[in-house]
Amino acid sequence: MSHVNLSAEIDRYAYTNALSKSSPTTKLFLAISLLLVSVMSPTPVVPIIVFLTSTILLLYFAKIPYRFYLKLLWYPIIIIALTCLIIALFFGYQEPLTEINLLGLKWTVFKDGITLGFTTFFRVAGGLSTQFFLVLTTPMTSILLILRKARVPKVLIETSLLIYRYIFVFIEIMETMHTAQELRLGYSSLRKKLRSISLLMANLFIRTLEQGERTFTAMSARGYDGNIRVLEDLPKPSKTALLGIAIFAAALAVAAYLTMNIRIV
Amino acid sequence: MLFRLENLSHCYSDGTLALDDISLSFAKGERTALLGTNGSGKTTLLHHLNGILKPTSGKVYFEDKPLEYDSKSLLDIRRRVGFVFQDPNDQLFAPTVKQDVAFGPLNLGQPTDQVKKAVDEALGTVGMAKYAEKPPHFLSLGQKKRVALAGVLAMQPEVLIMDEPTSNLDPRATSEILHLLLRLNKEFKITLILATHDVDMVPLFANKLYILNKGKLVSEGSPAELFSDAELIRGVNLRSPRITHLFEVLKKENNLPINPKLPLTISEARKEILRLLDSKNAVKNKRKADK
Repeated sequence: MSHVNLSAEIDRYAYTNALSKSSPTTKLFLAISLLLVSVMSPTPVVPIIVFLTSTILLLYFAKIPYRFYLKLLWYPIIIIALTCLIIALFFGYQEPLTEINLLGLKWTVFKDGITLGFTTFFRVAGGLSTQFFLVLTTPMTSILLILRKARVPKVLIETSLLIYRYIFVFIEIMETMHTAQELRLGYSSLRKKLRSISLLMANLFIRTLEQGERTFTAMSARGYDGNIRVLEDLPKPSKTALLGIAIFAAALAVAAYLTMNIRIV
Repeated sequence: MLFRLENLSHCYSDGTLALDDISLSFAKGERTALLGTNGSGKTTLLHHLNGILKPTSGKVYFEDKPLEYDSKSLLDIRRRVGFVFQDPNDQLFAPTVKQDVAFGPLNLGQPTDQVKKAVDEALGTVGMAKYAEKPPHFLSLGQKKRVALAGVLAMQPEVLIMDEPTSNLDPRATSEILHLLLRLNKEFKITLILATHDVDMVPLFANKLYILNKGKLVSEGSPAELFSDAELIRGVNLRSPRITHLFEVLKKENNLPINPKLPLTISEARKEILRLLDSKNAVKNKRKADK
């Protein structure tokens, strides 16, 4: 269940990294503006700068271990690389670059296809790094508080808040039940595995319903009336930092415009 | 009387009669324990005290007024009567400790500054101030129980109800919770009502005891009175505190001249042993003097 541990680890870093105390609004603003610049850039130059910026912020300033960062990057990068390879080979129609032999078929690869593949790869990688920066440095609570300020519908925020809290309760319950099944040889053959997993899922589902009822009772006992009120005590973002980020993003946008005509092949 | 239950019965929708014609009362400033096995109706009874459950028949009186179940009266009773649930995971729903503790005071409509002060004080009282920004899933069970307690204390209740406050806790966490509760009772004059089956803890904590069995009130009195009645205690599938049991055996099997009011705690046992030794020495000395 390594994916489960991975998300728990991301959560832990969000609370313990060296930047966890700095203003979440600033971090969110940085992540979103860099994401937009990166994704809208027509060439790989700006996305590479974005990627390096968020990586440096993560490794040097937030002090996230580089091994963990690589572990996180590894899977999405492979998937993007494969996707972009397909784009590079099968897209494009203008100047033919070369012909390749594909299972006996002759296939023409175009220059603009290669350019598109490369650009897409770096755009996504740049955008990805900004989102890793956000999730690894900013606790979920702060993100929810900002969303509340941004007037995202209440029902979405309240549901996310409860989901976030109870995910960890149910991970624990699931792991306990999984171990209990495994110890009684519930995973010793494919048939048993399928059966055990379906039992586990059915059981978890019932447990979530029960938990919902108990949580509701406990919340009512403290005066819950259908609105989850929260303390809004976000640290105030520094105006200089926000301005700095805005200028940096604008500079990157200009750079993206100026490098528009750079050709890779 | 602070609380008075009159012929209270509760029948769950599946037909189980969880409480059967119970009449009892809780006095202001007292420390009351409800003792009974699992399924004896303790939790169901407690759930009636701040309106979580409505009686099927019978009445609940708070300060001699019958409990009302409209939302305004409920908010009022829930401010004054705090309830700490057995499993802190049921109670802690917010993503951080601070947000969770703030939930109650915010529901009371207090201004932000006052809420922040209440949160800091409550977390300070239970000794969890430095965990304010942590999410609950980073905490141990004992710590979660203390945060759950803080969440209720932040509403400044006059009565504190706790369902199995020490279940599943290690000895140290148990004794910490116990001392905390006694302090709340002494310093803040909070009336304490708790349900438990931890018989060793009861004499340390309670000055009044009710014994429930299968939804019925079996007996009431001080811990000393009830625990000295071994037949009663065994009849409801409980046992005496270990130390009491030891003295019972010494009295019965070894015919030691033990006070009929058996010791319930270590300190009472110590006094009794010293008394026995003293009287033994007195007899010896008398014999010596006679010779």
